[in-house]
Amino acid sequence: MLLAQILLNGVLLGGLYGLMALGMALVWGVLNIVNLAHGAFVMLGGYCVYFAFAGLGIDPFAALPIAFVAMFALGYVLQRYALNLIVRSAQLNTLLITFGLDVVLTYLAQLAFTADFRTINPSYAGANVTIFELTLPLLRFAAFIAALIFAALLWVMLQRTRLGRAIRATAQNLTAARLYGVDPARLYALTFGLGVGIAGAAGGLYGMVSQVTPYIGATLTAKSFVITIMGGLENPFGIVLAGIVIGVIEALASIYIGPTFTDVISFGLLVLILILRPARSMRTA
Amino acid sequence: MLRWVVPLVCVIALAALPLTGDDVLIQYGIDALLFATLAQAWNILGGFTGYVSFGNSSFYGLGTYGTAIAMAQLHWPFGVGLALGALLAVACAVLFGIPILRLRGHYFAIATLGLSATLAAIIANLDISGKNIGLILPLTRADNAFYEEALLLLIAATATVAWIAKSRFGTALLAIREDEDAALVMGINTTRYKIAALALSAFFTSIAGGIHAYWITFVDPAGAFDLTLNVRMVIMAMFGGPGTVFGPLVGAFVLSTVYDVLASSISTAAALLFGLVIVLAVIFMPRGLWDLAGGFRRDGARYFLQNIRAHRL
Repeated sequence: MLLAQILLNGVLLGGLYGLMALGMALVWGVLNIVNLAHGAFVMLGGYCVYFAFAGLGIDPFAALPIAFVAMFALGYVLQRYALNLIVRSAQLNTLLITFGLDVVLTYLAQLAFTADFRTINPSYAGANVTIFELTLPLLRFAAFIAALIFAALLWVMLQRTRLGRAIRATAQNLTAARLYGVDPARLYALTFGLGVGIAGAAGGLYGMVSQVTPYIGATLTAKSFVITIMGGLENPFGIVLAGIVIGVIEALASIYIGPTFTDVISFGLLVLILILRPARSMRTA
Repeated sequence: MLRWVVPLVCVIALAALPLTGDDVLIQYGIDALLFATLAQAWNILGGFTGYVSFGNSSFYGLGTYGTAIAMAQLHWPFGVGLALGALLAVACAVLFGIPILRLRGHYFAIATLGLSATLAAIIANLDISGKNIGLILPLTRADNAFYEEALLLLIAATATVAWIAKSRFGTALLAIREDEDAALVMGINTTRYKIAALALSAFFTSIAGGIHAYWITFVDPAGAFDLTLNVRMVIMAMFGGPGTVFGPLVGAFVLSTVYDVLASSISTAAALLFGLVIVLAVIFMPRGLWDLAGGFRRDGARYFLQNIRAHRL
């Protein structure tokens, strides 16, 4: 029964990881930018929802769209007026500039919000339901469902809307998309904004199931990276699934092997996947 | 003529620095020299072939722990410790280089990142390396000796890069950076060259780690396999000018100084400004200080606009 409970907890956390990684995968797949500041945007989204809840008394789930819109705007401006200036230089430069952004955002957050741990703790946080001896924490379950809803909305948007088609066309061939009337500067900014907005929404959910500090960014970036590679850039379902797999592996490893070994497992797995299946990795690189 | 005089004068001036007897200056000097060595070592693979390695922190960690285990656990002398660390790092570079160097772009970067994290976690669980607590090395108070060792190491690394830049080996590495498939078609054994570059990079990185370990007399997994250290190597090399002989040194010295001055005057905002410097540098001088020097003399302030025009969407 313990095993089933651990699996359940892992799955619930993993859904959230999946949503977080979707934002990174979108930016990576379409813009070919590996956004090292992704985790920092997740952190800022967490603060958005925290202050909407603690300061203004808005229900955290109702605050998720606010976090999404605020982070979307930030992402749009950053891409339009900074990242767009360098997207055609060496690939390494996009890594560097997003790393610089990560440092700036982390320390701005430290100055503005202090290093205190913040948890988004609505009145129903402690509620849970017991089904066949399994405890289902309601808040975590709701966060899991919300993550899936966001992921589904993103998928529908990419498949069905004009903007979604333009984004997918750009991912395939920028020159051809341009010929069909796509304005790349605007489209890049919109795509980056979407990726950052998703990070923001995921951050709000993360704040409900865990704690937000200015320093959570780096690990979350690394986690999104691992999940994105496991899931594959062009496959959103694969990414959500990979997020759940990582969540379960983390939960299992910390209980059965000890928390000091969780990194060996998740990063060792990453290296193994890359070594054993380089064909797929090289094709999408 | 000038090409030899300027470096020679710099080396003599640096070697004479301990004569000032200024402890703070010497300690800053050891740090800056070791950072410059790390940036230069990263440059061998990253600058010349364009393969962005985040695995250099694993070579640094192996060098650190090789020295620490030899001295603290086995009571061997410092020199043997350095050799052990270098052996571990080069073996690791060759062993993991073979599968990992088949990956390209971001995938290579993340595989090396994974390698560092895995090694750090393994070291943190071994008895011989003192698990999470770390090891304490025998205490020595010989900052001047450490300073001269770090200087010698930096000279060796730079001389190696200078040789690479002029040799067939370096030309092959540059060909890999420009177009790896074309290099392959031209008959260059790209795998062998990349592994050799990674092994050289690992060698210098591990020795720097060993010197640092003995200097501060304490090692732990978080410090030895610190990823931000690797990021600093990359930034220093990029900031100075990747794929050049002296660019990484200039980048390392300038950024070390900027960071130390900021950290002592406005501590909390230092990291913030450091991040801003990186963002602005990438936008306005994407090919580093070394290129800026020539470009600015040629075009003046228009150099910055030209960079933006060349790389924007």
